[in-house]
This record gives sequence, structure tokens and C-alpha cells, in this order.
Amino acid sequence: MADQSVLPATVNVLGDVRQFIKDAASQAGLDRKSTYNLQLALDEIVTNVILYGYEASGLTGNVVLKSDITEKSLVITLEDTGIAYDPRTREMPDEDDLAKDLEDRPIGGLGIYLAINGVDEFNYERAGNRNINTFTVYRPAGGGRRGEV
Amino acid sequence: MALTSTLTMDNGVAKITLAGELDASVAGKFKETIEQAAGQNPKRLVLFMESLDFMASAGLRVLVFAKQKMRSDVPIYIIGCQPPVLSSLEMSGFQKSVYLQDSYTDE
Repeated sequence: MADQSVLPATVNVLGDVRQFIKDAASQAGLDRKSTYNLQLALDEIVTNVILYGYEASGLTGNVVLKSDITEKSLVITLEDTGIAYDPRTREMPDEDDLAKDLEDRPIGGLGIYLAINGVDEFNYERAGNRNINTFTVYRPAGGGRRGEV
Repeated sequence: MALTSTLTMDNGVAKITLAGELDASVAGKFKETIEQAAGQNPKRLVLFMESLDFMASAGLRVLVFAKQKMRSDVPIYIIGCQPPVLSSLEMSGFQKSVYLQDSYTDE
């Protein structure tokens, strides 16, 4: 089962992004924690796409969200035509950084750290002029898709 | 859902109540409230988050800003976080710099 949403790349759509994820997660039978973590992951990466992939680069465009539910997982794909950017190349905080007082540590990379650590699999690829970020969350055993007879 | 960010001063304690969802589109509003609170020179900052349903890293950055903006002897309390929000704070190591509590009473 697949669904799609095309949204303009502005921060005003972040609520719509979270709602799309919530709906997909509900269809896939994910629990509240998994749903929240997936919403957070998409919120973080879409925010970066909007602010850095498009706006800071003087570009405009859309973000395209796709959801695909298989027997074992929910896969969310995020596509954009902003500048090429692989979130995995961002330096993320390590254990030492996270142990420091807030005043003493670099705050950058936290969003991507929370995003990637909140899903079961994360992948990035560049195809032509498109960034494609893929987020995979495993479904609970037995599927549990709501609304199915 | 939009964000509301409300400041009250209570005997030198700055109390901010957050409700709704805190993402990059509204983090500036929370930051402004922190700046207003700092302007009151409080002895303590208390953030009530029971009604905050979502917090992105933009919100975490405002908390870091709050820590840097307040005088170093002003403790920061974060009260009543919903479990996923609390999880983000703990994963980010915030428990080392702020007091995370289920409830708050003035001493």
C-alpha cells in the first residue's frame, strides 16, 4: 500500500509532514513511540532540506513524501531537488559531547542524530538532481494494520 | 497544532508554559519568551511541558540558548514532559544541565 504527498518547501508545512507520517504509521500499526520517532526523523530532515537545501541556496521547490507499507515494514521516502546533501556526512555528537554541560558543547548535528537513531534503517542517495532520503521502521509482529478486514 | 508559550513571574521565578508542537517554524516564539524571562532577571526558570506534544531539535537549541542566556547561577527546571519529549532530552544529555521533574512546587 502506498501514499504520496507533495508539499512546498517552507517551514509552514512541517505540521503537514507530521500528519502524513502519523497517518502512515497508523495504517502500519506502529506504536506511539515509533510513530513519534518517525515524525521526529522526518521533521528534522525536512527542516534541513527546507532551510539549507533550498532557502540558503536561493532555491525553491517541493518536498515529496511517499509511504509504502510492506508486510514487515513502513518505508517513508523523502525526495527534493535542493542542493545535494547527505545527512550521514554531518558530524553528529558523540558520547563525550553528550556528556558535556550545555554551555560547553557543540549543538550542531543533534537533529540528524535524533533522526537517524529513531528509525530502524536510514538511507540516502542522489539520483540526477534529486536527493532521496529513505526511512524504514519495522512493523510489530503480526502486522496490525488498522481498518483491514 | 500551533505553539503557545506563556510567561508568568512568580516571586522572582520565571515560569513558562508551553503547549502544542515545537518545531523550526515556531521555535523563534519560544526563544522570544526566554528572552523576556531573562530580562526579568529571575532566580530560577521553570518550563512546564505537560501540554507539549512534540519537540524537534529546534526546541533543544532554544533550551541551550536559555542555559546560555540566564545567569550561570539560575537553575532550569523542565516539568512534566511527555515520554517521547523526555526521551529526546535524555538522548541529548540534557539531564546533566537541567532538572527534569514530573512536578514542581515552589519552595
